[in-house]
Amino acid sequence: MKKKKWLALTLVGCIMTGCFAGCNNDTINKNGVESGVSPSTNNEGSGENVKLSALISKHSLTKDLNEMEWLNILEEDNGVAVEWQQITADWDQKKSVMFASGDIPDILVKATSTTDFATYYGLFEDFKPYIDASEMPNIAKMFEEHPELRALCTDENGAIYGLPNYRSIWPRTNRVLYINQTWLDNLGLQLPTTMDELEEVMIAFRDGDPNGNGSTTDEIPLDFSGFPTFMLACFGVPLMNESDGYYVEDGTVKNYRVDERYKTFMIWLQKLYSQGLINEEVITQDYSKFQSLARGEGTTALVGVTLGWESGDRFGTEVADQYVPLPALKPHEDSNESEVYWGYYYDNNSVSVATVAMSAKCINKAAAVKFIDAFYADEIGIQVLFGGMNDVDNCIRNNGDGTYTVLPPADASIDAGTWKWTNSFADYSPFYIPDDMIDRLTMGEDMQRVLLERESLEATLDMMEETCESYPAKFINYTADDNSNLAMTQANIKNTVDQTYATWLTDSTRNIEEEWDAYVQSVYDIGLSKNLEIRQNAYEKYKETLE
Amino acid sequence: MGRKRLSALKKDWQLWLMILPALAYIIIFCYGPMYGVQLAFRRYDFSKGITGGDWVGLQYFIQYFDSPMFWTTLRNTFVISFFTLVCGFPAPIILALVINSLKQKKLKRVVQTAVYMPYFISTVVLVAILQILLSPTTGVVSNLLKNIHLVPQSINLLGNSSAFVPVYVLSGVWQSAGWNSIIFIAALSSVDSQLYDAAKVDGASRLKQVIHVELPALVPTIVILLIMNIGRVLSVGFEKVFLMQNDLNLAVSEVISTYVFNIGVQSGQFSFGSAVGLFNTIINFVFLIAANTISRKTADISLV
Amino acid sequence: MTKITKKMKSGLSDKVFYICITVIAAATLLITLYPLYFIVIASISNSNMVNQGLVTLVPKGVNFYGFNKILERTDLWTGYRNTIFYTIAGTLLNLVVTLPAAYVLAQSRFKARRLIMTLFIITMYFSGGMVPTYMLVSSLRLTNTSAVMIIMGAVSVYNLIIARTFFENSIPAELHEAAELDGCSHFKYFMFIILPLSKAVISVITLYYAVGHWNDFFTALLYLNRDEYQPLQTVLRNILISNQAMAGTTGVGEGSYAQQYADQIKFAVIIVSTVPVLCIYPFIQKYFEKGVMIGAVKG
Repeated sequence: MKKKKWLALTLVGCIMTGCFAGCNNDTINKNGVESGVSPSTNNEGSGENVKLSALISKHSLTKDLNEMEWLNILEEDNGVAVEWQQITADWDQKKSVMFASGDIPDILVKATSTTDFATYYGLFEDFKPYIDASEMPNIAKMFEEHPELRALCTDENGAIYGLPNYRSIWPRTNRVLYINQTWLDNLGLQLPTTMDELEEVMIAFRDGDPNGNGSTTDEIPLDFSGFPTFMLACFGVPLMNESDGYYVEDGTVKNYRVDERYKTFMIWLQKLYSQGLINEEVITQDYSKFQSLARGEGTTALVGVTLGWESGDRFGTEVADQYVPLPALKPHEDSNESEVYWGYYYDNNSVSVATVAMSAKCINKAAAVKFIDAFYADEIGIQVLFGGMNDVDNCIRNNGDGTYTVLPPADASIDAGTWKWTNSFADYSPFYIPDDMIDRLTMGEDMQRVLLERESLEATLDMMEETCESYPAKFINYTADDNSNLAMTQANIKNTVDQTYATWLTDSTRNIEEEWDAYVQSVYDIGLSKNLEIRQNAYEKYKETLE
Repeated sequence: MGRKRLSALKKDWQLWLMILPALAYIIIFCYGPMYGVQLAFRRYDFSKGITGGDWVGLQYFIQYFDSPMFWTTLRNTFVISFFTLVCGFPAPIILALVINSLKQKKLKRVVQTAVYMPYFISTVVLVAILQILLSPTTGVVSNLLKNIHLVPQSINLLGNSSAFVPVYVLSGVWQSAGWNSIIFIAALSSVDSQLYDAAKVDGASRLKQVIHVELPALVPTIVILLIMNIGRVLSVGFEKVFLMQNDLNLAVSEVISTYVFNIGVQSGQFSFGSAVGLFNTIINFVFLIAANTISRKTADISLV
Repeated sequence: MTKITKKMKSGLSDKVFYICITVIAAATLLITLYPLYFIVIASISNSNMVNQGLVTLVPKGVNFYGFNKILERTDLWTGYRNTIFYTIAGTLLNLVVTLPAAYVLAQSRFKARRLIMTLFIITMYFSGGMVPTYMLVSSLRLTNTSAVMIIMGAVSVYNLIIARTFFENSIPAELHEAAELDGCSHFKYFMFIILPLSKAVISVITLYYAVGHWNDFFTALLYLNRDEYQPLQTVLRNILISNQAMAGTTGVGEGSYAQQYADQIKFAVIIVSTVPVLCIYPFIQKYFEKGVMIGAVKG
């Protein structure tokens, strides 16, 4: 009894000591000013840095912005001192309260969406006058080189409230189908060239104990998360920049969930699942388990075939070298090869919308606009994405001849991806990485692998650029009413299609062929007709503006 | 006569003073912003503020009632709430009685401390643990339940739609029964020992003492808590359901809060969200009043 | 039946009763403790092995990555300091505001009792919403101050009702009559008689309010902007939530970085956030001992 009390008291004492020790590490702002300064006071021209307030909705891995030297240098060079409010979780909830009450800081990074500009009309500053008056030269340059970006962020009244970003260096697709080469070797099998062959190989994986640990029940031939859209594309659906299931074919916006090819694909998937070739828990496992399974047990791999971003990231260091990427496999030996596609996502990978916005109530607008524009400079963009190019950050090396090299992580225990996310604003941030940077920037080892592993898909992606119609979903803006209708109908549609997908996949007693027509009709009734109508109109309108 | 009135008033002003801080708080912080309720009847327009939007009456309510998911989500919410009440309400009471009856002080302390610890596990981690322990292939608890034939051999406890509600409710009971039993334990500690003595004299066994002395002492607390819980019938929390949802159990796991989230998350649908919230509140309130009235008529215990 | 056989019979049934009780208690203990034990071993195990279900009774792939990552964050200690401050100050305010109000509402002859009770209960259900409340708090200049963490939620009607129920049912009316005869005012009666006799309910309410403050991240999320005011839960939630952002989308190259990080850490987070609270309960437990009422009404 007494012991317990003493234990409790000691613990409390430790915590308190820790607190007071931690308190003495107050970070003092780089300009020698204590953090806690109130927003924008007008003191331009006095030789002091202009004070601005800003907010960033950052990833939880990202470190404290005050420790990013490249950011400090950027602020210093542009004569501003920015007080950053850093949000890492639940931004959506806080956002609605902040915006609705009109209480926002001067600059918002990664914190707004295009619907916000419509909903909170009057809260944000229009950038157009500044761009036209040459106060934002970097952005003007970006718009000149990529006019579609200007069209993207201009609303129906011609105003620009949120600036996009652009990076040319990212691949056109973000998933690759991997297969375990070691398992193939152990079983004496060849790399499959069609989906039918893939099925045979997976049957061998299931039965032949390819990971050699004596058990034939621990191998999972195929695993994926959610719906394997990329594999659907192989069955003839031209998914070029598809969004939420919507794509364009023959000038019409369609949804693959009600397409005949989806039916064929589902029948095949159902067959695979009933044969035990797909992970039994494919629908119910959480993302943690999905990730962990692919990493295997020590050096023993557990998964045969799966989709991933990059082998090191997907499989972890122990088993990554067992996997090789596959090209887009045609369904059968006699399938029409010009109809075998892959998930093409160049728009998504290269452009983000509304990366930065400004408050209409900002006092020091000139300084704020200049600072925002600075993010889009040639040498700054890559630092925003990969981390600082200085002696403190050590994320990029300036080779002095106009080329740059992304350095490996200074901390050897961290992988390159985590390192990037820790030291920079990373994706969805304001930057402009122009097309010529593809040749001038040497990216890190992980990104090199990313590009390497996609080589076998390049032919398919090239073919898609020639023959398929892109759905420029990213670039299309809707009115507030349309947004509302789309949101409502999509929630209902999703509910139906997701449930049907899961039951069709896992329950082999369901006859997909028989249930197909009723299913399609129910999806149209529940809101797909309305949704397609809105999307088709917007798509055609958008095409007109391009001409 | 006058003196009595005066002293009565004198007594009352003290009471008013004692209740003043609490009253002031709710008037300022709860009734102050109450005008926001009208957002459910207005079309939100940022430039005009909360109260400035056009009056649209019941438009959003009708939109909600007309949506295809209305009855499904209402039913799912109600089912989850009902079973949470049926299983989750008696458990803390029984637990409190059991703990209170334990003779060895040490065991009593240990059990008391142990059962209230699960309450502090955040929802995110709780669902993560459920995922791991109930996995049909590798889950320890899942395998155990199958081995003792409590569940069929081939079932996927995480996906099967008839397993969703039991898993949700029982994990909820596991998490909060101990915490909720605290108040009953406290109530039991206030039972006059004279009542025990009287019962012993009448030859009552320990079990009879529990039934005739302890349970009646808990009745006021039980009734009040029951009324308040009934008044929360449509308030199924968002986070736990959202994390436990997957495509296989959607038919029973899509509740009002997750449905509103799916709609609202993309476009800041203030008015619609307000309308749904108000509708939920009114239903809850109706249940509360019904429960309270029944309680007042039968047991003479009431919230007001 | 003779007295002795009666005693023997009740002795036997009592023995059976106690055995049943002990069995139930032991089973409850086991069911409760296993998942908690699991959290402890998972927090020091390799997260891949944990997710694959390989960690059942002993930790595997032991590493302290989770704890290191958490404890090296300076904002964690600031968070602890802030939360302890908010909890203590906030709970004190809660008690000062709630307990007298509960006493008043327990007085059956207080004329306005029903009206005021109804006013309180309405606030449990109907609210103006997040935005109007935010605007009110903002107009009172309370945003971004530590005061907002203490004042918001000063009255929990739920706790108020619990306290009132106690005062109504556990304090005999005769006590009050006796006090009145002695010319005792409400203040004196409340301070010197009610409070000492209500240790059990005060402990419960204190615990409820204190834990409420300890777990509160939402108030901080809405009303606090400054980093140095953030409570512990905000810091921890930031870590925990990162794993949800990654689920099942065609993520644009974010890969599994955050997922791995979150997985390694989430169990350690629980331990770090709850250990202090577990220290408090032993202090409160003793107030639940029996015999609080003895001698109150005698004579």
